[in-house]
Amino acid sequence: MSLNQAAIEDAIKQKLIQICETLGEDASDLAHDELIPASGLIDSAGLLELLMWYESHFAIPLKPEEITIDNLGSIALMAEYVIKRKGQA
Amino acid sequence: MAVSIHAPRINNNDDQVKLIALDVAIGQKVDRGAVIGQVETDKAVVDIEAPAEGYVIGLQAEVDTMVEVGSILVWLGESADEVVPAAAAVETRAGQASGAPTAKARLLLKRHGLTADQVPAAGERLTAEDVEHYVAGKGGRTAQASGSPVATRIDRLPDVPGALRPLRPDERGMVNTVSWSRDFAVPGYIELEYDPQPWDAYAKDYADRHRLMLSPLLSLMAWRLVELARETPALNATHVGEQRYEYGEINLGFTVQAGETLYLTVLRNADTLDESGFVNAQGDIQRRAAGHRLVPAELQGATISFSSMARWKVSRHIPILPPHTALMVAHAVSADGRHVLGATYDHRVLNGFQVVNTLRKLSKPAVPDRKKENTQ
Repeated sequence: MSLNQAAIEDAIKQKLIQICETLGEDASDLAHDELIPASGLIDSAGLLELLMWYESHFAIPLKPEEITIDNLGSIALMAEYVIKRKGQA
Repeated sequence: MAVSIHAPRINNNDDQVKLIALDVAIGQKVDRGAVIGQVETDKAVVDIEAPAEGYVIGLQAEVDTMVEVGSILVWLGESADEVVPAAAAVETRAGQASGAPTAKARLLLKRHGLTADQVPAAGERLTAEDVEHYVAGKGGRTAQASGSPVATRIDRLPDVPGALRPLRPDERGMVNTVSWSRDFAVPGYIELEYDPQPWDAYAKDYADRHRLMLSPLLSLMAWRLVELARETPALNATHVGEQRYEYGEINLGFTVQAGETLYLTVLRNADTLDESGFVNAQGDIQRRAAGHRLVPAELQGATISFSSMARWKVSRHIPILPPHTALMVAHAVSADGRHVLGATYDHRVLNGFQVVNTLRKLSKPAVPDRKKENTQ
């Protein structure tokens, strides 16, 4: 798996688009630095699905206290957190 | 005077338990507190203890059969030659006449409103198979031999070709839920529209203060429901026999959609938490539900519940009451932005006024009221 920031962001974006589609929303224009929970595109259940995928796809088990807006609030932050957790930042 | 030993209740959702051991014999002396047998459900095994010293004078159930919670398993007498009380004698094993029904057959007879003399026995005793055969012959349904007392199956396969498929655990849970609702509850439904702004503002403030990734809105509303249940015990109750059974703890059921699976997660003893603890615990259980990582205890024993279908933008959903509960709140947000709080309630336990009153209180956070109260 590539730990290139742009590649990680793209993978997260694609998953986000896929989840939003099931909710009848189009997330293709969501900026990578835009706060996902505030976008109005995805609800809590959708975010849960995104987090479950994130943990599994990047092999990063998350503790409850890690699930904050500061760590995972945007596509860019989520990608940065992958790299940080993998110790390659 | 003879003393009866009854099948114990292991958990609120099981009205039947399986008798897996009965370690006494007619005439045997037992001490008070002695373990005389064991019963089990899918979740636990529990010892049955003698409530008093005495001699076994009657055995009323068979090992490896399902028995009703509260039914008599064993009679103890003050002496070995004491007779079982007359009303029970006809059901005792010692006094069985030829053709007398087995314990399981008695359960099925009761469930179908039949008497033993209506059903022909194939052998010496009337068995569950005899009853099922009889009911099937009438074109009706029969009870599952080892399932919930309210779970039923269609006895005859349709004429159209197809294949039977075993149910997943969550699907079996759904069958039990809707069957309990059909067979026992008297459901009513009430809803009201509400202004979402106070709740949205409260949840946003909470999320900002705690730097939350996931919106705490629904968890905060569920917490408000727990608070209301603490104030009004009838909300956290069920109906048993001719009485209301008010729970001693609040186990909050909360629906979580995980792929195609709908879980009713259960946060036990929710009333012992504070708001922050509740939101954190809800977040944790929801995340594990999404990953299908719940343990059985987190999927049973709900005493009151909250469900939201806001994500699906439906204008209304009328949930089925989970077994042995009297209230399930239903939250919805329609495509045109109407916010609705509804509730399915067991009319045996709650009346419409109580439900409307609860929904009105639930339609806004408690904090503004408390501030107002503090300034008065």
